[in-house]
Amino acid sequence: MRKPLLYTLLALACLMTVVPLLYMVSLSLQTEAETLSANAVLVPDSPQWGNYAELFVRAPFGNFIVNSLVVAGAITLAHLLFDPLVGYVFAKFRFPLRNTLFVALLATLMVPFFVRMIPLYVLMATMGWLDTYQGLITPFLMDAFGIFLMRQFIQPIPDDLISAARIDGASELRIYRSVILPQTRPALAVLGLFTFVFQWNEFLWPLVATTTPEMRTIPVGLTLFNQEYFTLWHLTAAGSVILFVPTAILFVFTQRYFVRGIALTGIK
Amino acid sequence: MLRPRTLSGRYARTAYLFLIPAILFFAAFFYLPIGNVMTTSLRTGPQADQWAGLGNYTQALADPAVRHSFLVTAVFSVIVVLGSIVLGLALALALDQPLRGRVVFRVLLLVPYLTSVAIVGLLWRNILDPELGVLNRVLSASGLPEQTWLNTSPLLTIAAVTLWQSVGYTMVLFLAGLQGIPETYHEAAKIDGADAWRRFWRITLPLLAPTTLFVSVMAVISGLQAFGQAYIITNGGPGDATDLSVFHIFNVAFRARDFGYSSAQSVLLLVVIVAFTLVQLRAGRRGEVTY
Repeated sequence: MRKPLLYTLLALACLMTVVPLLYMVSLSLQTEAETLSANAVLVPDSPQWGNYAELFVRAPFGNFIVNSLVVAGAITLAHLLFDPLVGYVFAKFRFPLRNTLFVALLATLMVPFFVRMIPLYVLMATMGWLDTYQGLITPFLMDAFGIFLMRQFIQPIPDDLISAARIDGASELRIYRSVILPQTRPALAVLGLFTFVFQWNEFLWPLVATTTPEMRTIPVGLTLFNQEYFTLWHLTAAGSVILFVPTAILFVFTQRYFVRGIALTGIK
Repeated sequence: MLRPRTLSGRYARTAYLFLIPAILFFAAFFYLPIGNVMTTSLRTGPQADQWAGLGNYTQALADPAVRHSFLVTAVFSVIVVLGSIVLGLALALALDQPLRGRVVFRVLLLVPYLTSVAIVGLLWRNILDPELGVLNRVLSASGLPEQTWLNTSPLLTIAAVTLWQSVGYTMVLFLAGLQGIPETYHEAAKIDGADAWRRFWRITLPLLAPTTLFVSVMAVISGLQAFGQAYIITNGGPGDATDLSVFHIFNVAFRARDFGYSSAQSVLLLVVIVAFTLVQLRAGRRGEVTY
């Protein structure tokens, strides 16, 4: 195909993805009248930065932000702590029932979240964990995908390194921490980024597992805010921008990791 | 604690020590819930404590609302799968050329993939709203006919919004697949006089089959469990036109508070997803090509 045509097509596709997001930013800086005016406002006359402050007055938006940070942060830390450890065990240890346990682990990849949703809700209700951080966090502490990713990454590390450390008298935990873990850094970066972004954006479980506005995460708090104040689009847009900015900043600095991470998931 | 005498016994003990948290976690948060959803699906009543046998399943299979939600979900998934493959591959083919600014294009196309379904849903509802939406205000101000896509073709519209979010992801997968095809095949075919069209159908597409399979499996799995689009954009409507299965299950469970009936429906949907995945993987294995 001719190059000018290619450039045009790609530029159009990029406009399709970027313009709506830019409009979201514009909307967040409009007055309520501008959001409704018959002549659609694409660039507000005077940006209403006060919309962002008003959002915090109308809804416990500070809580939403803290909740999102705590929940996504804790889950990400748990993945970084456990996924490489479990991946290491399946990559480098021989022990009874190893294959059975590994198959049982991989089988959980076939279980979509909605299957666990109702029983988890009942479980959390009986434990009194609805509307708590532990209720929001514990169902996602590990997953088979992260463990599998780490196992694939650890497998090529030479066994000799581990044997040498054992002969030197290093404890098993020490071997893991000083020999294995430092070599997994690129994979850990991918794992951490993906886990954080997905949990930051997670919608269904926080919707099910919270009952008071104060415990909602941003995606849920924002959606329910919009249901309550459905005409205040400028405030909903401001909330969307707040939800979007952290992932956008992360992405700009780490897009190579993201692209490599996605490509990695596609390779069998 | 008993000290194992052999070396392999000691390694096994270490392995299990390291595995304890994972075994506890997957038992408590995967296998226990899976067991519970199955047993709950056999019960009825507001507390889901009365034995119903297979009653929930027979009821679900005969329930027009449940059947409709499965149909809606199937149509939605087909659109998302086909769209993911066609658009993702087209963008990947375009980006696989030696162009300036490839990284910028790739980044911009991938941005929606990083946004929450809450952002995607709220933003597109605002854009497409027939009365207050910005698209119609722009169209009418420029004297063009207005659209009412959320009323006239709601399912196609939310599928398109889903593609808007996910197509960057499939594009990156296809790009990785394209870069795995050795340049020599194309050069050899060029020398033999094959034009670009022929090379695409005879070389690129067959050799991309594993990627296409992976993309379609992922798209089916995510399409069949879409929820936020219906919850945020359409509330399942107009009428029940976008009553996606997980949205339907959510409403039966948490609005109608019927855990037995909703559990049976989620087991049915799980069976569909697992069956589809296995069929696709088997079909894909048969269709694999090597040159």
